[in-house]
Amino acid sequence: MKHVKTLNTHTMNNSLKKGGCGECQTSCQSACKTSCTVGNQTCEQKK
Amino acid sequence: MIHQYQNNGYNIVMDVVSGAVHVVDQVCYDVIAGICKSDEADGFEACKGLQEGPGITAETLKEPETFQKLAAELNGRYSEEEIGEALRDVIELTEAGQLFTEDTYECLIDEVKKRKTVVKALCLHIAHDCNLACRYCFAEEGEYHGRRALMSYEVGKKALDFLIASSGGRHNLEVDFFGGEPLMNWQVVKDLVAYGREQEKIHDKHFRFTLTTNGVLLNDEVQAFVNREMDNVVLSLDGRREVNDRMRPFRNGAGSYDLIVPKFQRLADSRGQERYYVRGTFTRENLDFAEDILHFADLGFKQMSIEPVVGDEDDPYAIRVSDLPAIMEEYDKLAKVMIEREKEGKGFNFFHFMIDLDGGPCVAKRLSGCGSGTEYLAVTPWGDLYPCHQFVGQEEFLMGNVDEGIVRPEIADDFRSCNVYSKEKCRDCFAKFYCSGGCMANAYHFHGTIHDTYEIGCEMQRKRVECAIMIKAALAE
Ligand code: SF4
Ligand code: SF4
Repeated sequence: MKHVKTLNTHTMNNSLKKGGCGECQTSCQSACKTSCTVGNQTCEQKK
Repeated sequence: MIHQYQNNGYNIVMDVVSGAVHVVDQVCYDVIAGICKSDEADGFEACKGLQEGPGITAETLKEPETFQKLAAELNGRYSEEEIGEALRDVIELTEAGQLFTEDTYECLIDEVKKRKTVVKALCLHIAHDCNLACRYCFAEEGEYHGRRALMSYEVGKKALDFLIASSGGRHNLEVDFFGGEPLMNWQVVKDLVAYGREQEKIHDKHFRFTLTTNGVLLNDEVQAFVNREMDNVVLSLDGRREVNDRMRPFRNGAGSYDLIVPKFQRLADSRGQERYYVRGTFTRENLDFAEDILHFADLGFKQMSIEPVVGDEDDPYAIRVSDLPAIMEEYDKLAKVMIEREKEGKGFNFFHFMIDLDGGPCVAKRLSGCGSGTEYLAVTPWGDLYPCHQFVGQEEFLMGNVDEGIVRPEIADDFRSCNVYSKEKCRDCFAKFYCSGGCMANAYHFHGTIHDTYEIGCEMQRKRVECAIMIKAALAE
């Protein structure tokens, strides 16, 4: 594609099939304690 | 749902629903803007109505009308050939499910609401007492609107028992030793870790312990223990000496920076610069907080987080709407410096710019948010349970205690029902799958309900997502 460079190939909807396994961290725990950010968390399944 | 923006010379297009992110050239950027729904001021008049009905699909894009409208709108800026070519790329992406992806998650919401949750994390308020007197402390010098108190070993043990019993099939359990200042009750922390290690074998669980500390009582013994037992350690520091000492003084008014910084540096090094965060707060008294983050980097730290203070509007240090333009600029500035440093091999992690585009959590997690009140609870020194550390001391949120467990499940139900589709503002927000609906404690603080959002926080959150993605674009070059 001449006009576009795509940054990620893996898209989110794929994760729907797996459903949530629930092993991931709770969001507020890790670094902040005053805000919620989940976009940066890792999925335990991929470890 | 599409979000497009320009930052640092990059034209970025986010396909919010699939999570795909594209860097495009100007013609393509303008073509997408033209196609996009025109409720944004810069959408093209001729394309209004395109998204009515079933929405934009590869089929609607292929209709000759689409091209004609675009050609008319962009006439004079690009040749028809360029427009046609860009449109073909757009169609290709759409067919691949990476652009104009239809939002099909909403139907999952009932499942999300009804989902069975288990408790997987506890925040133990090991000490409601502190040896600093930080001006913005939501815990009011560690006392949480109540009395000073230390958690006893007995209460702590019951809390861990409660967690194990309430965690169902979940293997990894998180426990944060929080305060006040937990090192003021250090022996109990150590005893509870020992108890946890013993119990995890019996129940086939694994505890991940975290310590949040202001560093005043940090010494070699604490460091060795923390490195052996704690998965993560959060070190509170606000940045430059004058900034830190203004907000984080001892009770007698003296600054804390000189005592604490060398200890934190040593601890971070002893952990190989991993599994820790230096964590600060910025206020309207240091809106140039990028300097504080760079100060951390210059001190040798690699993992850091600095967050906006949350305070009442009449607090002199609270962030106001009028501060937002300066804050946005500051995030932009920080993002640019981080790219430079990364390229020079001197990169560092800023928690709020970390984003995992290729992996990251599953949709279920992204829809449901921080977990407070359901998966995550806070325990007071005397064993009361609250939805999270920020609700502690607000009696209307008292959920139960470590002896009886949850006695007001309706509170958990209310928290469980909260998600990005239950809040009007989140539903239409491009950051929803990175933010997951924001902090319920903030929403409650500003609007008296957890089913809302804290707008100033949202503005900053969206900016951080934009910066984080721009950094990815720059580093992908
Ligand atoms: S930034 Fe605000 S509106 Fe957007 S998802 Fe987060 S809380 Fe909701
Ligand atoms: S409500 Fe806010 S402070 Fe509490 S756990 Fe959630 S994000 Fe963190």
